[in-house]
Amino acid sequence: MRCRSVLTRVDALRTGELPAEEQGLVHEHLKTCPSCDDSLTDVGALATNIKALAVVPPRSCKDELADSYDRVRYNNDDVWVAFSDRGLRLVSRGSFEQFSSTYAKRYGRCLKSGTLPDALRKQVASAIEGEGVDKPRVDWSDELSPLERDVLGLLPKIPRGEVRTYEWVARQVGRPRAVRAVGNILARNAVPLVVPCHRVVPTAGGVGNYAFGSPMKRELLRREGVDVDALEKLAKDHVRYIGSRTTKIVCFPTCRDAKRIREENRVPFRGADQAKEKGFRPCLHCQPFAA
Amino acid sequence: MKNSWTGGEAARLETAEENLAVAVHRSEPGALERLIDRFEPALYGYAYGILQNTFDAQEVVQDAVLRAHRALTRQYDEARCAALALRPWLFRTVRNLCLNKRRSKTRALEQPLETFDDGRIGPFVREHGSELERKEDAELLRHAMSGLPLDARELIVLRFMEEMSYADIAKTVGTSEASLRGKVFRSLKLLREALEERGVTHAL
Repeated sequence: MRCRSVLTRVDALRTGELPAEEQGLVHEHLKTCPSCDDSLTDVGALATNIKALAVVPPRSCKDELADSYDRVRYNNDDVWVAFSDRGLRLVSRGSFEQFSSTYAKRYGRCLKSGTLPDALRKQVASAIEGEGVDKPRVDWSDELSPLERDVLGLLPKIPRGEVRTYEWVARQVGRPRAVRAVGNILARNAVPLVVPCHRVVPTAGGVGNYAFGSPMKRELLRREGVDVDALEKLAKDHVRYIGSRTTKIVCFPTCRDAKRIREENRVPFRGADQAKEKGFRPCLHCQPFAA
Repeated sequence: MKNSWTGGEAARLETAEENLAVAVHRSEPGALERLIDRFEPALYGYAYGILQNTFDAQEVVQDAVLRAHRALTRQYDEARCAALALRPWLFRTVRNLCLNKRRSKTRALEQPLETFDDGRIGPFVREHGSELERKEDAELLRHAMSGLPLDARELIVLRFMEEMSYADIAKTVGTSEASLRGKVFRSLKLLREALEERGVTHAL
């Protein structure tokens, strides 16, 4: 083997990457050729010196790329919570795979494990316990439409222990015909539990669907003080509103004013027209229908 | 070399990283962090070697990791992830992004900023081995490297800074191992010449 071919193989030889058959030839040459042998030590020294120049990134890209996640227990189940320093980003129940792929799809970002700050942990915990959260700290992405912003902003104002209908939400945000749209927005709610979309039920009565399943919605409402069984019984009888014989005011059945009506004065109504005909007016607190 | 990221020798060399690719694919908790922890310094060193700019290098690495994550979790199925030679694949991603970035910049940056004459360059005679001298030698080496043509600098960074195997480098830059050995040798020669120009004659 000639010097030229040997020199190109010296570096590979140094790290033992040369094929076995070539190794022997190179070694043989090095024994007889001092200048090539020198270049072997030379490459070694240079390699060490270059290695010492290695730069390190000033900070890891993890912070730029990823939000943090942590988990909170619900009964015997995991609730996964993604959060940024501005607030909660995603709450989901079930497998971590599902959670992180939902997150990637929704926000196009990755997740790294972290510790949920106490303030946020308290919010999630009290939401699970049914204590309600007055001012949820949520980091909505900037892509929320005005309607989404209004609807999700309205939810925490539904009092704990009461429920409203999708139709009511649509009316409150000034888009009375957008009932389906409201349903879709609630279904897409990134932070269920904390932003209480479980307090919205179908106009026809009953509890309706939930991101974490109907049973959990019932459980949550019960924890918040809603008599779910009574609500479902009313739905079976097609009763949507409860009026008071003495005040001539009509409420949603879960309205705090409706709960104060005495048994003998309770008047069930199946619809707004029926109530209006009898000279009743809607409650100013729960505003069950337009006056 | 296109689409040659699967199978072959590289896959056997990269057992631990293979699993990492699958772990990221399955969205296992902490998998992405492990991937970032393991590769970020090397990828950054490589990007910096090409771009010679901290901000650009960081941006490229970040973009590369994001793309890798997207590819592993959404585009590739598990079999493909399992057969993926993760290290050269990541380096290749960084390389492509770096070259894109350079192309979009003005040619002015072709000459790295660090090559200006700061007065410390030139023939010198000094005893060998003091702390100061080692520092100056390192500085000279840095200068010499930043003056190299891009492809030579790239190979030197991959081979000697990141200590990658010839097999992996060949995959990253898209060439055969045999011709790569020659290229690395010529790059080293260029570096040696650049050092001599700066008056370094003793072995560094």
